[in-house]
Amino acid sequence: MNGARSQRLKTIDRTLMPPCQEACPLNQDIREYVDLIAQGRIMEALKVIRDKNPFPSICAYVCPHKCEEKCRRGKVDMPVAIRALKRFAVEFGGDQMVRTETENVYEERVAIIGSGPAGLSCAYYLRVLGYPVTIFEAHREPGGMLRVGIPEFRLPKRMLDMEIERLTLMGIEIRTNTPITSLDLLFEKGYKAIFVTVGAQEGRKLGIEGEDTPYVMDGISFLREINLGMKVRIGDRVVVVGGGGVAMDCALSSLRLGAKHVEIVCLEKEEEMPAGKDEVQICKDEGINIRNGFGVKKVLREGNKVKGLELIKCLSVFDENRRFNPKFDESALSYVDADMVIFAVGQMPRIPEDFHLEVGRGGTIKVDPVTLTTNRKGVFAGGDAVTGPASVVEALSTGKKAAKRIDDYLRHRYPFEERSEKEPLSSEMSQKTIEMIRKISRHEPPLKPRDERVKRFEAFELVYNWETAIDEAKRCLRCGMGAEIFERDKCASCLTCLRVCPYHVPYLNEKGDVEIPPSDCVACGICVSECPARAIFLRKPSDRRQIETELYELKNSIPQKGWPLIVGFCCQYGLFGTGSLSSFYRHPKTGIHIIPVLCIGKIEVEHMIRPFELNAQGVFIAGCGEKQCARDNTEIFARRKAEKAKEIISYLGFEKERIEVFSSTEKDMEKRLDQFIEKISEMMLSRMLKEGR
Amino acid sequence: MIVAERKPLDEIIGMVRPFKNILILGCGTCVTVCNVGGEREVSLLDAALRVAITKGMLEEKVISQYTVKRQCDKEFLTSLLGKAEEIDAILSLACGVGVQVLADTFSDIPCIPGVNTIFMGAQPEMGVWDERCIGCGDCRLFETLGICPLSRCAKGILNGPCGGSKNGKCEANKDVDCAWLLIYDRLERHGQLEKMRQYYPPRDYGRLRRPKRVTIL
Repeated sequence: MNGARSQRLKTIDRTLMPPCQEACPLNQDIREYVDLIAQGRIMEALKVIRDKNPFPSICAYVCPHKCEEKCRRGKVDMPVAIRALKRFAVEFGGDQMVRTETENVYEERVAIIGSGPAGLSCAYYLRVLGYPVTIFEAHREPGGMLRVGIPEFRLPKRMLDMEIERLTLMGIEIRTNTPITSLDLLFEKGYKAIFVTVGAQEGRKLGIEGEDTPYVMDGISFLREINLGMKVRIGDRVVVVGGGGVAMDCALSSLRLGAKHVEIVCLEKEEEMPAGKDEVQICKDEGINIRNGFGVKKVLREGNKVKGLELIKCLSVFDENRRFNPKFDESALSYVDADMVIFAVGQMPRIPEDFHLEVGRGGTIKVDPVTLTTNRKGVFAGGDAVTGPASVVEALSTGKKAAKRIDDYLRHRYPFEERSEKEPLSSEMSQKTIEMIRKISRHEPPLKPRDERVKRFEAFELVYNWETAIDEAKRCLRCGMGAEIFERDKCASCLTCLRVCPYHVPYLNEKGDVEIPPSDCVACGICVSECPARAIFLRKPSDRRQIETELYELKNSIPQKGWPLIVGFCCQYGLFGTGSLSSFYRHPKTGIHIIPVLCIGKIEVEHMIRPFELNAQGVFIAGCGEKQCARDNTEIFARRKAEKAKEIISYLGFEKERIEVFSSTEKDMEKRLDQFIEKISEMMLSRMLKEGR
Repeated sequence: MIVAERKPLDEIIGMVRPFKNILILGCGTCVTVCNVGGEREVSLLDAALRVAITKGMLEEKVISQYTVKRQCDKEFLTSLLGKAEEIDAILSLACGVGVQVLADTFSDIPCIPGVNTIFMGAQPEMGVWDERCIGCGDCRLFETLGICPLSRCAKGILNGPCGGSKNGKCEANKDVDCAWLLIYDRLERHGQLEKMRQYYPPRDYGRLRRPKRVTIL
């Protein structure tokens, strides 16, 4: 039973795909990097982020975080602040220093029209594959919507510049001020494939009376003018029409330009608004009034000036097929005063006719959804120009996909849709488990004070500090990473797992077998360390082997002479969360070896005894403490196991006091630890004297 | 289920001392359930013996570990046949039955018991085991409505309670419920209190004669 087979089985990754990862257009390993942040391993977290996201620092600012909507922690209290954690990883992990090494593998040159997120992402991945890539940008500076559509306070331009510089260092050529009017010319110039990602930069209008009055603008032009550094005139009373992210940005920008009173009018009810909840909240915090459920009938004017808007009540926005089809109550009129109106009611692409591309509904380019090919050979399209206005992360995702499809095309391969090997975590968490999970409130990223932020176009969201970031990351439930009865034939159905689980996850099925549903398990590892048959394992291989690996390292390290070797099993989450242990970890006192563990509930009795084989004089276990632990009562399990270990070492001629359990949040933790070390040293000294005699 | 407890480590150390090459053999059934002889305990004992070696309490040894599904059937032990040649002694963590089957199967190798087999019992709460059956061969649980006076009464009397029952507890051990009071309560609940007046003749002690053997077709 414990032969080579089980050794091999132990290395298999059995984790399931968590809902956050499933929701992410880039399919990022969110759970993995959040867990690494919780352990204080920021550089590694950033590496995981970079693995699937070409521009993490951009996403860290502007991602609409669909992952948080799917986060199962939301069922318990509030979702994990994933985007803010990414921002933390990017800022503290040294993303600015990352350089991607590339070389020319292939000769076929690829042209990318448009330097928006989709274009940049496509260029990045094609370059990584080894293609020479040229990006053509009509504007003065590259970045597309990232530069002209997103205000400085949301995405600082320096972040964008940094990412673009990284691309040029990778050998990607970016030609600005180069509008492309004909694709044939590019083919003639020797480009073998073209990716058209010109975005949706044309602001839509409603086609209502009075729209052509001065001081009536469309949102995207308004933002573009600000972003390009033009002098934008602003009214005193500004009304923004629209409920999406652009509308919110326009409203916030108006305030920063000096408008005295800003109001948003939108068709949708508050819960239907396409803008993110946090965006809406920020608008409200800054004193912007939002009128939900109104459509605009006409712009009222007085001579050549805007006077206000005539509004009609909107009854419903979507029809029964969930299509945009607003219904109004024409009789319910109301008015709003304004001297400037910004319509942020959507954008559409403008595709040059000379491209000879087939255009579909809403002026978007028609493409095959799998291959991204257009009606012309060798021409691919993606981004807002195909989908209509969408989020940055979706554009990055299409860019990545386009790079793969272009590679398939140039290498004459059949375009295979990539599928993740991981099975998604399908079922919901049970109510019983939800109740047992400790409620920990979400740490929102700090914002600059309101008065300070409304005056300037500066990013107002601040980064977490280490402590908050780790506390926030610890809230992750590690969905799909939990325990599993790995070797069924070993299970003696002793029901220990059923009895020890603090979350009541394992149960007996109708056949009388124990089941651990992956949708409920939160990977605390207690059943794993208690199972007498050792049939249960955690789904992630590195979780299974971590302590063994560390003990092996200890065995191979050079012993400190003259000092008693003391082994400390310290909660990795607590190591960085609390000051006392972190200082200890970075400057280990002589003769002390710290083994970081992912929760002290995972330590087994055997682990506590094995250091004595390596001539250790004492063992201590330090948990992250009741107060900051993401779980309840893990320490009880550790203490119980420590009792058993003490019993065993007492037979082996060691004093029971050589094993001790602390929690790192205790007030006099450091003092107690010092006392422990002193005690062990004394024991060693007296023993040496005795033996010497 | 058969319940066993760990033998004191010093006793085990004493027994394994003369042997160089030791196999610690766990059993994946009863002793795994009562957490004294499963794979986890095997590996824990291995670690403990290695510490003893480092400490100089034992001489250098070669220790290997293995766990079989059940030691009380020799078919499960045949997988060990190939390995047995290099082994000087097997330290078995199975119940007494398992150790004997093991010793019969490997009659040339000394088999050392690593646990004390104590009774047949059940687990009223996590980590606690109570005796529930003495294997008397003459089951009377029908009359007592599922409470065995032989295993649960300190005196094992068939016509109880005795005069020592006080506040529902046994005079021999104040932490233990009086089995006959439990029987009384249950009979009352079932409306069969008249059974308390019934006299139970002495048991057939002939069935307790050892060694027992039964042929089941």
